[in-house]
Amino acid sequence: MRRYWAGLALLVVTIAGCGLGGAAEEEPAPSAGGAVKGKVSLQTWALKPKFTDYVQGVIDGFEKRYPGTEVEWLDQPAEGYSDKVLTQAAGGTLPDVVNLPPDFAVPLIRQGILLDVAQADQKLAAEYVPGALDAYRYPGVQGAYGYPWYLNTDVNYWNTELLKKNGLDPEKLPASLDELIAQARTLKEKSGGKVFLMSRRPELGDLTNAGVPIMSPDGARFTFNTPEAVALLDKYRDAFKEGLLPRDVLTDTYAGNAKLFNEGTVAWTTGGGNYITSLATDNPTLAPKVVPSKAMGTPPLYVQGLSISKATKNAPAALALARWVTSAENQAAFARLVNIFPSTVASANDPFFSKSDGSNSGDAKVIAFESLAEAKVLEPVQVTEAMKKLVRQQFSLAVSGEATSREALDAAVAKCDELLKS
Amino acid sequence: MLVITVSPFLWQLSTSLKSLQEDIYTGTPSFWPERPTLSNYAEVAETIPVWSYAVNSLIVAAIVVAGNAAGATLAGFALAKLRFRGVKLLLGLFLATLVLPAEVTIISQYVTVRSLGLADTLLGVALPGAIGMLNVLLMRTAFQAIPPEMDEAAIIDGATAWQRLRHVGLPNVRGMLSVVTIFAFIGAWDDFLWPLIVLTDPDNYTLTVGLQYLNGTFSANPRLIAAGTMISFLPIVIVFAVLQRFFFKGVEEGAIKG
Repeated sequence: MRRYWAGLALLVVTIAGCGLGGAAEEEPAPSAGGAVKGKVSLQTWALKPKFTDYVQGVIDGFEKRYPGTEVEWLDQPAEGYSDKVLTQAAGGTLPDVVNLPPDFAVPLIRQGILLDVAQADQKLAAEYVPGALDAYRYPGVQGAYGYPWYLNTDVNYWNTELLKKNGLDPEKLPASLDELIAQARTLKEKSGGKVFLMSRRPELGDLTNAGVPIMSPDGARFTFNTPEAVALLDKYRDAFKEGLLPRDVLTDTYAGNAKLFNEGTVAWTTGGGNYITSLATDNPTLAPKVVPSKAMGTPPLYVQGLSISKATKNAPAALALARWVTSAENQAAFARLVNIFPSTVASANDPFFSKSDGSNSGDAKVIAFESLAEAKVLEPVQVTEAMKKLVRQQFSLAVSGEATSREALDAAVAKCDELLKS
Repeated sequence: MLVITVSPFLWQLSTSLKSLQEDIYTGTPSFWPERPTLSNYAEVAETIPVWSYAVNSLIVAAIVVAGNAAGATLAGFALAKLRFRGVKLLLGLFLATLVLPAEVTIISQYVTVRSLGLADTLLGVALPGAIGMLNVLLMRTAFQAIPPEMDEAAIIDGATAWQRLRHVGLPNVRGMLSVVTIFAFIGAWDDFLWPLIVLTDPDNYTLTVGLQYLNGTFSANPRLIAAGTMISFLPIVIVFAVLQRFFFKGVEEGAIKG
């Protein structure tokens, strides 16, 4: 649902932005110089009520560290956040410091509403993990537009009960697509087709992992119709034909592999480092039977960050606040509440992340932390919801065998290029 | 048909009663909770100020219902029974606004409401929905169904437009009026995106927006969400139960009484 709104909002802003943007671009960018005091507003995304105490603690710390400051904290509900931010931007009520994932920031950067923090804060590049900061750099645009905040990645999760019951060894988990397909075959034969191992259709991220460049380096056109991509889709097509994936995986109503995993019809899913914790709430009897392993190929990088409104009246305090919230100490404290990972260079040596407490959730944390070192943003931010849908449709045609992989990829690239130019 | 519409609702109900030790998503869902508990409802009330959110929702719904009941009746009556210059043009404009999807106008609507000084107020939430164009058309159709002879008789007896509305029109459109009331109430009560955009201060949140706090980052518990959904569903049941007498009578009975 959230994705749907995000796509819709992109469309809305292109219409609404015509009359409303622009003005900010001519004004000089606010600078970091000046005393840190006065009022400053901070907007987070769906952290209340679970992390109310944590965020309030961080804010109190800030007000204590910089006497004379006053932080106004707003927390927005999860649903419809992208729309909320866009209307705030259009109405000129964007808070000074805003929690924005990199893709939500794109329309605001096009309208010149966000502050280039790389220019305002020279120490940025030295203190934050390069991969995370790069998520806030956009092709064709100068500078960086957010302080990276907490990070996450995907880890494989396996249902050991289903694996053992169907002749697979949880000690020898597949580590590549070929191994996965081989084990999926065993599982299918033993279970008589009732249980599946694979339940994910290929996405752009899988192509990146297979060494396929999604876009040209300047971000001007799509390039993912390569022979490697064809080979990957062919593998999925053969697996689908053999019945190694649920039939409805190709439909648009498909609920996702995490849901099937929760129901116990699928033995493998991917999820963030915090997945077992939320599974323990949803399905308490399943959670202890789950073991994590490292994601196949390059793990994806998910970034949250704090951007700063260019229209802020209190740039010094806004920059100081964004820096304070994303500081190594405050992020480390956050990571102790939930399995997320700090974006600061200084946190890399924190033993908390490299030692498991022995629980499967603790193991997942360590695996996720180690994966982060090589994690990358697998899908370029220019890929909009509309493009994703097109790609999904074309890949479905290829996997179901209605079109050849070559045809599907060529069609997807051509249509995505059209959307990119429009 | 009934099974398809009712079963998601029943699933929510059973989820909201399940204890923390039970699985929610299974291949063979059991509708009957093994250890039924009301603690989820208590926890919802503890986590978020459900009652003050419900009051906010009620205020918005009351404004919208009143606006639609009065405004749509008056406008519908004028369009159906009064003759004045430009009535066709006006009707055309009403129809034209129906074609625009709400998502396209939402940002300009927000800018308008903000410049009226109504951002972050419940009135600002209620105002755009206070007269639904569709409701005006429904009322117009209902008024048109009254035979012109009755109106003409009233005019000969010397009735003014107001008297014709009160004594001839209203008694004959009660059914449609209750339909409009129920739809206006449900529309106002269920709306999510617009209140989210207008409201900033969490104290002013309506129930649909406030319930989103149960679905936070890293902290979604489907039992609590289901319990919240049940709480927000209750008033709709009540409004419908109260009005259903008129709702069905109005549909069945012809427009004219002796």
